Amino acid sequence: MKMIFLVCVSTVSVFAGGFQLNEHGARAMAQGGAFAARAYDASAIFFNPAGLGFQTGRSFYLGTTVIMLKSSFFGPLQNNTNEENKMVDQTFTPINLYGTYQVDDRIHVGIGINNPYGLGTEWDENWPGKFITTKIDLMSFFISPTLAYKISDELSVGAGFNYVTGNVTIKRMVSDPFDPHAKVTLDLSAKGYGFSAGAIYKITKQISVGASYRNSVKLDAKGTANFDPARTVYPIGEASASLELPATAFVGVAYTPIENLEVEADYQYIGWSSYDKLVVEFKKDGSKTESPKNYRNTYILRFGGEYTMGDFQFRAGYLLDRTPVKAKYVEPLLPDANRSGANLGVGYKFDEMFSADVAYMFLKFDQRKVTGTVENFDGTYNQSANLIGFNLTIRY
Amino acid sequence: MKKPILLCIALCIHVGAFVSGCTDSSPSGPTPGLGGILVKKYVAVGNSLTAGYQSNGLYESAQMYSFPNLISQQLVKAGAPLDTFQQPLYSNPGNADPGPGSNAGKSQRYAILNFSDPINPVIGPEGKAPGSPTNSLLARPYDNLGIPGIPIASFLVDTLVTPVAGFGPLVLRSPIFPNSVYKQILLMKVMGQTPDLVTFWLGANDVLGFAVTGGTSPTSPTNATQFAGMYKQALDSLRNALPSAKTIIIVATIPDVRAIPFFNTVGPKIAASLPAGAYLRYQKHGNTGPSFDSTRLTESGAPLVTLKAGSYAALLKDTSITSRGQWYRDLATSLGVSVAAVIGAGIDTTKYFGLDPRNPLPDALMLDASEQTTAINFINEFNATIQSVAASDKADVFDAYSFFNGVKANGYSIAGEKYTADYISGGLFSLDGVHPSSRGYAIVANEFIKIMNSKYGMSVPYVDLSRIPGIPMPLGKYAAGSKIVPTISLEAWKSFDALWNSGF
Repeated sequence: MKMIFLVCVSTVSVFAGGFQLNEHGARAMAQGGAFAARAYDASAIFFNPAGLGFQTGRSFYLGTTVIMLKSSFFGPLQNNTNEENKMVDQTFTPINLYGTYQVDDRIHVGIGINNPYGLGTEWDENWPGKFITTKIDLMSFFISPTLAYKISDELSVGAGFNYVTGNVTIKRMVSDPFDPHAKVTLDLSAKGYGFSAGAIYKITKQISVGASYRNSVKLDAKGTANFDPARTVYPIGEASASLELPATAFVGVAYTPIENLEVEADYQYIGWSSYDKLVVEFKKDGSKTESPKNYRNTYILRFGGEYTMGDFQFRAGYLLDRTPVKAKYVEPLLPDANRSGANLGVGYKFDEMFSADVAYMFLKFDQRKVTGTVENFDGTYNQSANLIGFNLTIRY
Repeated sequence: MKKPILLCIALCIHVGAFVSGCTDSSPSGPTPGLGGILVKKYVAVGNSLTAGYQSNGLYESAQMYSFPNLISQQLVKAGAPLDTFQQPLYSNPGNADPGPGSNAGKSQRYAILNFSDPINPVIGPEGKAPGSPTNSLLARPYDNLGIPGIPIASFLVDTLVTPVAGFGPLVLRSPIFPNSVYKQILLMKVMGQTPDLVTFWLGANDVLGFAVTGGTSPTSPTNATQFAGMYKQALDSLRNALPSAKTIIIVATIPDVRAIPFFNTVGPKIAASLPAGAYLRYQKHGNTGPSFDSTRLTESGAPLVTLKAGSYAALLKDTSITSRGQWYRDLATSLGVSVAAVIGAGIDTTKYFGLDPRNPLPDALMLDASEQTTAINFINEFNATIQSVAASDKADVFDAYSFFNGVKANGYSIAGEKYTADYISGGLFSLDGVHPSSRGYAIVANEFIKIMNSKYGMSVPYVDLSRIPGIPMPLGKYAAGSKIVPTISLEAWKSFDALWNSGF
């Protein structure tokens, strides 16, 4: 049974959308991701490693999130036009696979694989922004062996190591003297390392607090630049770029007002200012391109709760996500805006061994009208996303 | 079970309200329109810049992107009931080289003939069988009346009295309308069409011929007083024929010759390769003999080396005695005379070309300080005339002088691309280094449209530069922004020089 599920999940096209992804477990997702103070399933490896310390036994927690993203751009105002340019609808399925094992009364270990960063946008090859971008696929994998230590029945701490691999494909059109379909494709991949740590403290039977931190991960990406047609004037061949994934921290407070109901509010901080520019260097002629990004540090507010009724758990949540992208740096590569998400979900326990969770989120991006952009590509972006998360828990 | 169901319903309502409240996708740009102004006829008057001349030739695939044709397409998008905008189209590869010379009778359009060396491409006429006019029997005057090569004087010339030269017959087709209302005069052809919008861009050829030949042919621009008189007569006549209550007239100033790649490409490359302590010797205006005038091409007022010198830049380091006289051999060939006839007294072609006073860089390959001063003084005077006459005739002005100087200084950035005034790699100029490329003409069209939008309350969309093809190859984004120095034979420049003397 275990094997069958592993196979099923891994055959799902593995991909991620939105540069940072925080949907790594349907139970947490259904509660707006407010989970750091009571991360009591295996996705604690992502949300707060200390959560493992309060869990018992062994488990697998296997899931995916189907992310369906729609985006459109009105403009550019530079052309004084009203034209709507629709992004090719995107569907991503980031995975989350966790396994945990309780060693003894105090020590709990686990390992997780998920995709905390990724994005994908795709535009028509003849759209007005074709020299900025036509396609980007970014995907990262975090493999995170994690250990939690329960200091007392009230306090647990945990830490994990993150082995990070990432790759990115960037395509855009190039203006070429002879070929209107000339394009460049950049394929880069990278490896990096980082850590996570967290603690959960149960202040009373009704109130617990949790905090976790994941450090920034520097990725030195290497790969190739391919030009079509492959003219000698183009810097074809080896290319490299450096990118720092931001540090992130969760702080949460959970409260149990009545029996079977838990609510939580979280503040998530993201140190996006690490993403100040994207520099791509080309080995062939030593040239480089530099795109200023100047992201700002930002935060997400998360609210959620879970009501248990027999074998069912009903969940709901809400989140407010402040964009790290300043107006002048908004671009179709990742047309970000402030977002708010409404979440619903349900969990069902089939028996002592199996339970399943589903979650739905509607993610609304504020309409974003930008002028004075560094790319000289002003206009209005409209976006929305539907997300559906599935997870299966196996305890044995 | 009752409680969870209620909870679920409540949450569904919550989410449903949330979803329905965010389907707003209102557009951000203005709705295309003409602000209540009826534009049913647009006529363009001008020279090669109006005709859509590119890469030393007039040909259909360039004329498609003439700025008047682009403006007319944008006007239609804004709802203008224009007829098909008619131009004197020349099928590809365009007009024939009038000769004399080895390319006579073949197409004179420049193409990149060999691009194996990205820094020094070989450029020149394709030398194919020329194209031919495709709609010369059109039963009305063309809407694009741009005639390559004409100076301001040509606007009022009665072509029955003065035979038209160069591209005049192609555009005016006087024999086809012998006694019609359109008459033989360019002015009459404009008036006869009762346009609602006229773009009028003349004057550049009154100084460009002087500039691109290094001040050698002609040796002076058009007399400024005469220019002022002719320009005033031209625009006054136009305005008198087309009352201001009805017709929008937009004129344009003359670009600064120093803003075009023709004068900014070869010099910096020579300067960069000049050995420390070495100086170029060059002939000042009118000098045909030896010269001790020296430059490192970096000091202020240094000579502006023309694109024609691209083929001779390598000669500066040539240690072979036999090749140092290449310029004079080429000049003799292009003129069809003996080498001895073109070498000035005292010139010794066995000496280092451009470095030895006895074999200096020829006057025709550069605009020295005094020639630059002459060109700029005249352009400033011409532009002052254009501004004041436009004001009195209630015409709007596209200040092409300031605009192209701005492009030279800062480039032109839009939709992720930065175009510059660099030769080829900048994307805005065609292979002859003087005439814009299709994208260059597109930004000119947009500058005219900008005036219509700002002065007349129109909302005409701008030409989308990303959809305009052409010769541009902005290497800047992915390659080092090295400037390109082409090899274009002196013979190939002959048809280019002929353009500036083809007025009537």
